[in-house]
Amino acid sequence: MADYTIITVENLVKQYDGRTAVDDVSFDIKRGEIFGLLGPNGAGKSTIIAILCCLLKATSGRVTIDGFDARRDAGEIKKIIGVVPQEISLYHTLTARENLRFYGKLYGLSGNALKNRVDAVLEMAGLTDRADDRLEGYSGGMKRRINIAVALLHNPEILFLDEPSTGVDPQSRRRIYDTIQELNRQGTTILLTTHQMEDAEKLCHRIAIVDRGQLVALDTLAGLLTLVGESDLIQVMAKEIPPASVESIRQINEVQKVSVDDGSMTIQLVRGRELLTGIVDTLVSGGARVASISIKEPDLETLFLHLTGTKLRR
Amino acid sequence: MKLHIIAANDLMISMRDRNATIFMFLLPMVLISVAGMALGGDYEQNIRIDVLVVNLDNREISEGFMEFLEEINILDVDMESNEFAARDRVKKQEYGILIIIPQDFTESIMTGQDCELMIITDPTKKDQNTVVEQIVKGYASRASTSVVAIKTMAAYGVPVHDEDRISEIVETANQFAEPPPIQVTTENTATTSRKSSPFTQYVPGFAVMFVFFTTIGTGSVSLLKEQESGTLRRLVTAPISKAEILGGKITSTFLRGFIQLTILMIFGHVVFDLYLGSDMMALTLLIATIVLASTGLGLLVAVLVTTREQAESISTMLILTMSAIGGSWWPLFMEPQFMQDLAHITITAWAMDGFHNLLYFDMGLAGILKEVQVLLLMTTIFFGVAIARFKLE
Repeated sequence: MADYTIITVENLVKQYDGRTAVDDVSFDIKRGEIFGLLGPNGAGKSTIIAILCCLLKATSGRVTIDGFDARRDAGEIKKIIGVVPQEISLYHTLTARENLRFYGKLYGLSGNALKNRVDAVLEMAGLTDRADDRLEGYSGGMKRRINIAVALLHNPEILFLDEPSTGVDPQSRRRIYDTIQELNRQGTTILLTTHQMEDAEKLCHRIAIVDRGQLVALDTLAGLLTLVGESDLIQVMAKEIPPASVESIRQINEVQKVSVDDGSMTIQLVRGRELLTGIVDTLVSGGARVASISIKEPDLETLFLHLTGTKLRR
Repeated sequence: MKLHIIAANDLMISMRDRNATIFMFLLPMVLISVAGMALGGDYEQNIRIDVLVVNLDNREISEGFMEFLEEINILDVDMESNEFAARDRVKKQEYGILIIIPQDFTESIMTGQDCELMIITDPTKKDQNTVVEQIVKGYASRASTSVVAIKTMAAYGVPVHDEDRISEIVETANQFAEPPPIQVTTENTATTSRKSSPFTQYVPGFAVMFVFFTTIGTGSVSLLKEQESGTLRRLVTAPISKAEILGGKITSTFLRGFIQLTILMIFGHVVFDLYLGSDMMALTLLIATIVLASTGLGLLVAVLVTTREQAESISTMLILTMSAIGGSWWPLFMEPQFMQDLAHITITAWAMDGFHNLLYFDMGLAGILKEVQVLLLMTTIFFGVAIARFKLE
C-alpha cells in the first residue's frame, strides 16, 4: 500500500428534503487500500459512495479523487473509477457477453481491445462457459459476478462496491472475495460499503463505521476492536421478553449495553460466560420463552453495539 | 459521441422481446384488416346527412325540389309541417340543417317574382352545412333561370298570364340552362382525389395509435425501467454525458416508431391496395414528424411521473383519448365541430389530417406543410419541457 492519498473526503454533507443523509463526514483513502464503510441499512453509506462516483452532488464539503474535484471534474473521475451498484444493474434479456460489450464500448473500448477485456473479465468471474447465455437464466450469485465484471472492463484505478455480497450464496461470496483481493493485489484501490461484518472483517484494511449519516469510528479491525476491550456479546432469541427482566439485566455491573428487538436481545458485557446462567435465569423467571442463546467473542457487531447502542442489522 | 451505442443496445433489447414485436406489428395488422373488412363497400356510402324540410308551399315546383333532394344519395330527407317545431328540432341538434320552402314559392317562380329558400343550420356541423348549402344553391340557380326568363318576357311585353305559355317558356329556358352555358371548372393544385376506402382511414388510424404505444407507452416506460433496475445509475457513472444518454434513448424510440409506422403503411399498400400518394418524401416526412412528436410526449410522461406503473397508466390513457378524439377510430368529420377543434390539440388529429391530404387528395409536400409545422412545434415543446425537468440524481 502506497502513502499516496487517492481519495479525500472533507466535511461531506448531503441533505434531501431537509433530511440529513450524510452529516459532516471526513476520511482519506490511500492508494492500494481496501477501505470499508460499515453500517446498517439507511446509515448513509450508499449516499457517500454515490457522491464519490459523481452520481450525486454534495450539499457541502469536498471530495477529491486522484487530484480531481468531484464537483468540477466528474468526467475525468468517471474514467478512472469502476462502480459496482448494490442492485444487479444489467440487461437480463441480453447475454453476459452482450452486456459486457455494451458497457465496454461506453468506456471507449473497441475491436480487439474490447474482445480481450471482455474475455479477461469473464475469466475472472469464472463464467466464460456461460458467456453467451442470457442473464435471465443465471443464478443470483452469477449475476452479481457479472455485475462486478462490468466495472472492471476498463481496468479502473479505483473500484467502488456497494454491498457486493448481499444476497449471494457462500460459493459466490467466496469467489467475490477472491476477485476483490486479486484486484487489490494488482494495485486497485477499493472502497466497499457493507452491512455484513464478514465482508469488512475478511477484506478491509481499514473500516469506517457509519451510523445515521455520521462517521462514528475509523481504524483497522484490530484497532477498532480495542475500543470494546474484553467485552463479549450474548444474543438471546426469545418470545415475550419482559421489560422488567431487561431492566434487571441492565443493572448488572458487568453489562455495558443492552439492545432489544422483536424476538431477540443483544447484551454486551464483560465476563459473559460467567454471567450467562444468571441472565438466562432472570429472563426465564420473568416469563420469557427462550429459544436459543449464543455467546460471541468481540467482533464488529460488538463494536457497533458499543459505539451506537444499536445492533448492526436493524 | 456514444449516443449510437445506447440506441443500438436499446434496439437489440427490444428485438429480443417477442411479445413486444407481436404487439408492434401483428396486432395492428389484424385490427386494420378486421376493421377495414367489417366496414366493407364504398366508404363514402356510410356518410349520411340528415336534412329536415318544411314545405309551406306544397305545389308543383316545391314538390319538384323535394324530389330533387330525395334523389341525392347522401341526404336523408325528413318533413316537418310546423316551422317553429322544425326550428326547435334543429336547436336541440336533432337535425343539423333545416330548409324552409316559403308559401307561394311555386307562384313566385311562375310569375317571375323574387323569392327565397331559407336554410337554418347547426353551427357545430360546418362541413355538412357546406355540402347542403351547395346543393340548395345549385337548385336555386336553376330555378332562377326560369324567373329571369319570365321577367325578361314581361319586360318586352310578352303576356305571361297564360299558365301554359309560362310553362312552355320555363321549359325552354331550362333547356338552355342545362347544361349551364357558362361552365365553372375547378382545378386543385393537387391531382384528383382518390376513391376512398375504409383502409384510407383505418391503416393510418390504427398504425398511428399503435405507434403511440411504442413511442409514448414503451418509450416512457423504458427510461423508468432503466431507473428502477439501476442500469441508468450505471450509465451515469460511465464517462458519458446526460445528453448522450437521453439522445440514445430518444434515437432508439424514434427508430422503433419510424420502422413500425413505415411497415404498417407498406402493409396497407401491399395487402389492401392503399394508395400512399405520389410523393414518398412527403409521406416519409409526415411519418418522421408524427413519430418525433410522440417520442417527445413519451419522454415528457417519463419525466413527469415517478414509477413505471404511473407511466403505463398515464400513457395508455393519453393514447386512447388521443386516438378516440383525434380521428384514429373514426373520421374526424363525423365529430361535432367543437370536438374537431378540440381534437387539434392532439398529435393524432394533425397526423390524420396529414395522412388524409396525402392518401386521399395526393397533395404532396405542399399539402402537409401546416401539419408538419404543428407537429414540429409540439416536438419542440415536449422535448423542451422534458429535458429541462430531467434529473439524473
